[in-house]
Amino acid sequence: MHKKGSVLSFIRILLNYVVCVNIPPMGIKKLLFLILAVSSVAEARPISYSGGSTLMSHSDNMRDSLYLHYSPTYKYSLGLEAVKDDFLSSNYSYFRLTYLLNRKNTQYSQRNLYFQSGVSSKGIENKFYGLHGDWETRRWFAGFGYKKVENEIIDFEDQYLQIGLAPYLGEYGDFHTWIMVKSKKNDLLNNWSTFPVLKFFKGNFLIEFGYNDRTEWDSHLMYRF
Amino acid sequence: MNKFLIIGLCFMISHSLFATDDMNHDHKGHVHGELIDGKDLDVDPDRYQNFLKDLEDCQIAVVSVIGMVCDFCAQGIEKTFKKDRNVKKIDVDLSKGKVLIAYSKDKAIEYKEIEQKILANGQNATGLKIININ
Repeated sequence: MHKKGSVLSFIRILLNYVVCVNIPPMGIKKLLFLILAVSSVAEARPISYSGGSTLMSHSDNMRDSLYLHYSPTYKYSLGLEAVKDDFLSSNYSYFRLTYLLNRKNTQYSQRNLYFQSGVSSKGIENKFYGLHGDWETRRWFAGFGYKKVENEIIDFEDQYLQIGLAPYLGEYGDFHTWIMVKSKKNDLLNNWSTFPVLKFFKGNFLIEFGYNDRTEWDSHLMYRF
Repeated sequence: MNKFLIIGLCFMISHSLFATDDMNHDHKGHVHGELIDGKDLDVDPDRYQNFLKDLEDCQIAVVSVIGMVCDFCAQGIEKTFKKDRNVKKIDVDLSKGKVLIAYSKDKAIEYKEIEQKILANGQNATGLKIININ
């Protein structure tokens, strides 16, 4: 309940900041529903097609964020991410760049390697950079990520591994389901946490969430347009 | 938490052992039609016939594409081609790796242009066949 309350508060603060209107606490649930209904996320899709935009939200035991990016070409994306950092008890934004280092297309698969980076609104000393990779067929998915986060309080590393399987193959436009397992480690918590993840998507929307008793919820929402 | 990993891995391994491998696609129910010039047309016939509905006096570009693994790939391709006012209809077949594009008759279809649009979406075009519909 505390987590849910903090997420709602964060979104209310964010919206107050972005649209410069005072949103009463009771109205935020309706607004959150609207945001979730028209938003989504997935680290597996950090760059869109040329001219495409993506709105993502991400929430786990360390942070909640809302991220909007635009891809001038399929090679890179530029975006702004608003972060509510639970661990550091701080709110800030990242100006983000993601660059496609390598892509291999085959008849039935695609493999990607990305460079990801971000500079905080708090200054150049507050930044992150790292690599993110994935390999995907219509049936199988495997991905990894490594991120080094530097800020004025403490530096740390974030890592994750993820594998997944689509239990059935839908046609374009169908409702798609993925069953996945994710393992992640954060230096600050100093342990690996492994948990099941479910991913669903249809049309422009994607939702992915996992849960375990140690790290609580890990969720991604995405909307591409 | 390792229990989840073990359960997940067991499920995936058993699935891959006992499930039909969709990547080695079965040709049952599909035909490899032949064009006038003798080249093969490897499309799903039902899907192709459905695509031709309501179409007349146009030309169909059948584009072979690699790297299409999900709906987001298909959406990008669809949106990119729909910007062209000469495109009457488009269909993306993920399982066959084919994109069907219905162009107006007066459009000069160029492989280079299609290749560039597919690449702008992050995939690669590997072949093109053009069929005239009267």
